[in-house]
Amino acid sequence: MSLKLTLKKKPTVPVEAESICPDKMEGLGLRDIAALPVHHGNETTTVGDFFKVTGKSNGEIRLEGDTSRFKMVGAAMSKGRILIKGSVGQHVGVAMSGGEIVVTKNADNWVGPEMSGGRIIVKGNAGHMVGCAYRGGQVGVTGGEIIVHGNAGNETGNTMRDGLIAIGGNSGDFTGVGMLAGTVIVLGEMGQRTGAAMKRGTIVSMEDAEMLPTFTYACSYRPNFLRLYLCHLRDLGLPIKDSWIGGSYHRWSGDSIELNRGEALIFDR
Amino acid sequence: MGAATKAKSEANIKTVENATCTFCGCLCDDMVLTVDMDAKKITKAKNACVLGKALFLSHEEEDRPFALIDGKPATLKEGVEEAAQILANARFPMFYGMSDTTCEAQRQNVALVDMVGGTIDSTTSVCHGPTGMALQGVGESTATLGEIKNRADLVIYWGGNPAESLPRHFARYAVTAKGMYTPNRKKDRTIVNVDVRRTKSVPVADIFIQVKIGADFELLWALRALVKGRHVDPNIEKRTGVSLETMKDLVERMKNCRYGVLFFGMGLSMTRGRHFNSAAILSLASDLNEYTHFIATPMRGHGNVAGADIVVSWQTGYPFGVNFSRGYPKFNPGEFTATDMFARGDADAGLILASDPGSNFTQAAIDHMKKIPMIVLDPKLTHTAKLARVAFTTSHYGINTGGTAYRSDGVPIELRPCLDSKYPSDEEVIRAIYKRVEQLLKTRKKTKGANNKRRKAA
Repeated sequence: MSLKLTLKKKPTVPVEAESICPDKMEGLGLRDIAALPVHHGNETTTVGDFFKVTGKSNGEIRLEGDTSRFKMVGAAMSKGRILIKGSVGQHVGVAMSGGEIVVTKNADNWVGPEMSGGRIIVKGNAGHMVGCAYRGGQVGVTGGEIIVHGNAGNETGNTMRDGLIAIGGNSGDFTGVGMLAGTVIVLGEMGQRTGAAMKRGTIVSMEDAEMLPTFTYACSYRPNFLRLYLCHLRDLGLPIKDSWIGGSYHRWSGDSIELNRGEALIFDR
Repeated sequence: MGAATKAKSEANIKTVENATCTFCGCLCDDMVLTVDMDAKKITKAKNACVLGKALFLSHEEEDRPFALIDGKPATLKEGVEEAAQILANARFPMFYGMSDTTCEAQRQNVALVDMVGGTIDSTTSVCHGPTGMALQGVGESTATLGEIKNRADLVIYWGGNPAESLPRHFARYAVTAKGMYTPNRKKDRTIVNVDVRRTKSVPVADIFIQVKIGADFELLWALRALVKGRHVDPNIEKRTGVSLETMKDLVERMKNCRYGVLFFGMGLSMTRGRHFNSAAILSLASDLNEYTHFIATPMRGHGNVAGADIVVSWQTGYPFGVNFSRGYPKFNPGEFTATDMFARGDADAGLILASDPGSNFTQAAIDHMKKIPMIVLDPKLTHTAKLARVAFTTSHYGINTGGTAYRSDGVPIELRPCLDSKYPSDEEVIRAIYKRVEQLLKTRKKTKGANNKRRKAA
């Protein structure tokens, strides 16, 4: 039986709730869990002020109710599982290094920024800055997986260094901007200016994309590694077509302003 | 700066020399104002441009109440009490504006937001905020306008229209100004204008490059590639509307000039791509330093918007979009910027200092501002003041109030007021609110402590 947090009072302003994390709730009794601090605007309150806490902590936390104004859920988590039955606010899974977060509806901006391991699955849409670095930071995601079944906003995978980000729908502008390494796979369309200033790394799209003038067409081929990635994503529930797994891809090299070691693989229809 | 004031008592006419005009980011500090002290009017503004003349000659102190509470006249004290109650009870208040007031008032505003644990943002976030974000990522090669005047022989205006928004920019700094190494004024300089349409700034340019709407980033990116000697596909013309030959010619001019400058406006920072557009132009300037001296600098609109960035940076470490909910400053544009916080319905109170977001924010943001208690400080009854719970009438900075303002290149300039006002300055009102909120929070702390003791005893 997992630990269940059921929303009983809606916050009037956004709440920073990094206490909602298996690492912090592990081994605590229900009363201690309810007494953990959360920050309701400029006021420090407790988990128990907003949630009815039931069940037993076994490594999994279930969040029920409209938690779309709860920020930083699962911040810095290293193990366990959080199941969010609904939508979640900004910065879900920030800096996480292990474990799994599943969001059954939408996630707001900044999904898994600067994470180094673990997995975040968003069944609905995600906002801007999925798997990115914070402003002023030089390195984004350094490991782990972010799987968004719906659409994502701008700057998906901004300056990521390693790991996998997969978007089932469309992504916004500047997908994979400034990438240092890692993989971004978009099953739908990408917005403008994909891969601007990327050094290394791979961006894959199943739809046509307009490339920047600093990307050059290299060849068309069937990358072996991509089959493994796509089969893995199929296992995770993304609708991967057979034609994509065996298909041919146009390879664009870029960004020539930087190292020119990055690649964009666009499915050859 | 010469002697400031000469009084001519017989007609009660005063002349104020070297006064500063606060209309735009140029902050021209060579105004000679003739003031009729009896009529309380400025009758002449020598050296002022059309915008400066509009500011000075139309200045008139309206006879308005010191404060309005829910639209009804109130005293200053009543206004301060109401404002303090709002802020002391707010959980997530947004402090916005600050572009048309003194640095002294901005500093007090930062102290107030720090004490109440709110969020502070300036009009920078809807102007050159993206440039601030860009320079954190890619750095900045910059200079003062004085250095540009004396040295620049290639001046590129990109996505801005100074002829109409900063009218004296050409004559004082960059086109027809006489500089130490540019004695023949415009003859010693090449002027380039890059824009999506023929603005009124185009006629002074030697070269006009018309870029397609929404293709500035691609053009800048192609120029960067050419500067670095990379291949650029001639198809670039289809996307940008600019031929590869034109780009190559511009790149040669940039690489071979003695001192180049890129002035850029909101045509870059507020169009699709925003901070990446700004980052692209800042990086282009940095790239060109391989060949010659090149700088890039934004053209700022409001009088002291640069000061807002500088004061907030000096006080908090970050230029705008700073949150104090947790007691320490956190910077995150998109989360703690005013349009976002209002449009998402996050803020539960607002303090608008010397700005009018009610006239230019998105409808969703304005609709939320109508729902929450707002406090406005402004010399005029603005759109925002009309929807505020408490609206203070304050004196006009630069005309009634002295202090410091920062020019768009980050040079601090002293203001020389010429007329008295019966209304308090922004700084005085913010100080009064600060004092009252401090008392309220102390009392609350004591009551909380006593309640806790009582609870424990029971």
